[in-house]
Amino acid sequence: MANVNGRARRKNTYDAIVVGSGITGGWAAKELTQKGLKTLVLERGPMVRHLEDYPTAVMDPWQTKYPQGQLPQDELNAHYAVQKRTGYTMTEYTKHFFVRDDQNPYTEESRYDWIRGYHVGGRSLTWGRQSYRHSPIDFEANAREGIGVDWPIRYEELAPWYEHVERFIGVSGQREGLPQLPDGHYQPPMEMNCVEKAFKAKSEARFPERRVTIGRAAHLTEPTEEQLSLGRTKCQYRNMCIRGCPFGAYYSSNSGGLIAAERTGNMVIRPASIVTSLIYDEKAGKATGVRILDANTRQEEEFYADVVFLCASAFNSAWIMMNSTSSRFPNGFGNGSDQLGRNVMDHHLGVGAVGEAPEFADMYYSGRRPNGIYVPRFRNLGDAATKRNDYLRGFGYQGGASRSGWDRDLGNRATAERGFGAARKAALTQPGPWTMGLGGFGEILPYQDNRITLNHDAKDQYGLPTLSMNVTIRENELAMRRDMQTAAVEMLEAAGFKNVQGRDGGYSPGLGIHEMGTARMGRDPKTSVLNAHNQVHECKNVYVTDGAAMTSASCVNPSLTYMALTARAADHAVKARKRGEL
Amino acid sequence: MLSRRDAIRGLTLTVGLAATGWAERAMAAAPAPTTLAWTPTALTQDQARLVDVVAELIIPATDTPGARDAGVPQFIDRTVATYYNKGQAEQFVAGLTRIDADARAAHGDVFVALTPQQQVELLTRYDQEATAARALTPAEPHFFPALEDLVTVGYFTSETGATIALQYEQVPGAYHGCVPLAEVGRAWATR
Repeated sequence: MANVNGRARRKNTYDAIVVGSGITGGWAAKELTQKGLKTLVLERGPMVRHLEDYPTAVMDPWQTKYPQGQLPQDELNAHYAVQKRTGYTMTEYTKHFFVRDDQNPYTEESRYDWIRGYHVGGRSLTWGRQSYRHSPIDFEANAREGIGVDWPIRYEELAPWYEHVERFIGVSGQREGLPQLPDGHYQPPMEMNCVEKAFKAKSEARFPERRVTIGRAAHLTEPTEEQLSLGRTKCQYRNMCIRGCPFGAYYSSNSGGLIAAERTGNMVIRPASIVTSLIYDEKAGKATGVRILDANTRQEEEFYADVVFLCASAFNSAWIMMNSTSSRFPNGFGNGSDQLGRNVMDHHLGVGAVGEAPEFADMYYSGRRPNGIYVPRFRNLGDAATKRNDYLRGFGYQGGASRSGWDRDLGNRATAERGFGAARKAALTQPGPWTMGLGGFGEILPYQDNRITLNHDAKDQYGLPTLSMNVTIRENELAMRRDMQTAAVEMLEAAGFKNVQGRDGGYSPGLGIHEMGTARMGRDPKTSVLNAHNQVHECKNVYVTDGAAMTSASCVNPSLTYMALTARAADHAVKARKRGEL
Repeated sequence: MLSRRDAIRGLTLTVGLAATGWAERAMAAAPAPTTLAWTPTALTQDQARLVDVVAELIIPATDTPGARDAGVPQFIDRTVATYYNKGQAEQFVAGLTRIDADARAAHGDVFVALTPQQQVELLTRYDQEATAARALTPAEPHFFPALEDLVTVGYFTSETGATIALQYEQVPGAYHGCVPLAEVGRAWATR
């Protein structure tokens, strides 16, 4: 019997276990396997193979079952009550990449829009691909302002890992030399259109500190040998990215990290594996592996390794830790600080301005650029000129200009060519007016009582406890939103746009789809869950490298930072293991 | 397995269709058929014939095909059958019922039996009603713009509408940000 158990145990033993296969799981898998570790990747959802499992990637508009690929109201309400809240994620083209809410419940003590996909690749398939570095200002802000806890690292420590990630994933972008948005390693930038170029010239003339640049996006514009060898090639400007790219032109785990990991021969990937808890060995004082529930067979199983990487997304990594109790960790794994599940952050958005371009009626564009323009943060940069007295931190704008299309009078909207018949038809076959929009992405401060908790009263279909959300934005964010709207109006007006309208469409937490902060990094085990290398302070062979680790949010899109933290942590883990420290 | 080749093949088909001589065919457009060449699943024969005529009035054949040749009536039948829930379907059919009732009241026959002139007059009246309803605060819904939306979506997302009336490229291959509209010609079908 002991012998059988021994064999079973050996069969289920690896050097490393990675929980999750999304943007950070893919990176952990790649780095650990390339450094020689036999690695098991556990994914709770089904397999999604690059190219093969993108069923809608080359669908044309006339191939949809429903008008414009929109899902019927009854289906949305019954199955996607949360996922539909973005207004753009749930379509016939994309629904297989998002969860069914009726099968994945949680409790909203306050409204929380938890948008997610459970499958190999996770949200790396559907992400927005914007890739910006945190700046030195971001890493220093908490300490300087006495907010939350200090980041245990500084920009200089992460900079080489940003570069490492940018070189592998491929980021197109323009170097700008701005301290608040450090330059990285870029492939050629995408082009601005006529209206965006004119906007840049005129707005920068009036507001020189508000730089307008093309979005830095994880799309190949000049692929490297390494990228080509993985089967990736350059962007074809289809702008159908969210369905999966048949060209592998934007970075996803499926087209990048997991393929690189697979090629080492060191990776085993196991879909349908819901990690329910970490296994903790009290005598050894470390984790020995994880327990899973097979989503198909409903059988429990254990897997063992020297080192565990939690890359299950901020909320699910926290969930696993909260659900991993023992006499050593009665309040959740590594939660001596009581910070696990707290300090939930996102980026608040949905506020900005739109206007109509005064010129270029005779100009258009060709191709569909899967990217927009970006205005890096220009508030509270540490000098008197940019200092705001009404709020801390700042925001960036994402936006762009385009001409409206044939759908411009849908939804009972009045247009110049309403009516019906040949005249309207002829008008709609020509592009409509140019409009330009700027939408802010603002930093949310870490608040200890913005938290998720484990709810044992509400179980999911597997009988597992679920999460309860209690997250709100506060005075700082509300004051920032007012400025986000005002400054956007100023810029469009300065650039000569007509009919400029400031808008605040409202924001509910989660809608940025950048949830983070639930197991923050810090210097002190009493006030943080993770150390400077993303190790759990209280259990050094468990690393958490997804959004959970974030000590502050910055205002830039976070995935690049998650990837850089993951690569850095993997390097640390491999070296520490070699030294016998894990 | 999905490959780059498939993506490119899709593009070639698109170009091939766009090159056929639609303009000539449109010039020879026949009047509305009295019987449908297809079998509706959600609509009755009468409703389907009405949809067929109304759709063609909303988006007629010109130098490019109209709603009928683009398969819009079938698209609408499919939408009512599979996309609308019961309430939405009933609302849609109520609009059709009103059209025939108004046609009978004004001219003593169903809409499809009216002269083209009478048909245009009736739709013009609905369009004006809709404009007035839109101007109210809050704006009131009206069946006609909803019907017009459905015809418009059906047309411009059809292969005919997207590739002949508009332009569509599954794989553009490149992005050019500042191109004279005259060089592009027509609006793009997708963003």
